Amino acid sequence: MKYILLMTGKKVGVESYLAWSQKDRNAHMAVLRRIAKELTASGEFVATQGLAGPQEAKVVLGEKGGMPVTDGVFPESKEFLLGYWIVDVATPERACAIAGRISAAPGPGGMPTNVPIEVRGFASYPEPES
Amino acid sequence: MRFILMMTGTRANWDEYAKWSKEDLERNVAFMRAFGKELKDSGVFVATEGLGWPGEAKMVRAGKNGEAITDGVFPESKEFLAGYWIIDVESPEQAYKIAARASAAPGPEGKPRGIPIEVRQVLSGHADLGL
Repeated sequence: MKYILLMTGKKVGVESYLAWSQKDRNAHMAVLRRIAKELTASGEFVATQGLAGPQEAKVVLGEKGGMPVTDGVFPESKEFLLGYWIVDVATPERACAIAGRISAAPGPGGMPTNVPIEVRGFASYPEPES
Repeated sequence: MRFILMMTGTRANWDEYAKWSKEDLERNVAFMRAFGKELKDSGVFVATEGLGWPGEAKMVRAGKNGEAITDGVFPESKEFLAGYWIIDVESPEQAYKIAARASAAPGPEGKPRGIPIEVRQVLSGHADLGL
């Protein structure tokens, strides 16, 4: 069963992350790297991706005269996707356990960030009739 | 440059979608298939996924001892990711043009929905994570 683990945050959360010391950031990334390596070794890893900062985010709303209508203004409350992991696991509980490990990755001073991780399954669409 | 195009919606949007007629659903899915094929044929396609219903979404936090604490309650205003495309294009402008096409996907009675598509650059996640 494939699941996607979504890490989200507000602009203010991203700003506080950018204020972390280099040492704290390295420790955080080291744990994420170890988790990804373990998932690869166990055959559960499918994909991971980190997104660029929310300050560069745009929203596209249709088009006008053949050109896309873009906007870069978001409410303060907007939850931006920061990154995701796709895992292929035996049970939903295992997907949640992996999400728990990512949530426990260390933040400033080595304390777990406890950042919430959203766990979702994938949609299935019927194949077109041939 | 790699960009991710994200389609999101609240639970209310999903409830509406669940009420679409079979014909409307088929038209929308056919559009999405043709759109994906076009992206592939033009060489910009990297990945696409459609996510499951928000009713099955869980939120996980690490507890004091690192255990996974699972919760399934979200505020009504919560924007759930419905699906995404990752494309590899020459410029942000090209990504916005492609996003506009996804935004115009047909809804009920074949009318373009004009839904907002969030466009963000993606980082080299695999390299960052040492994979």
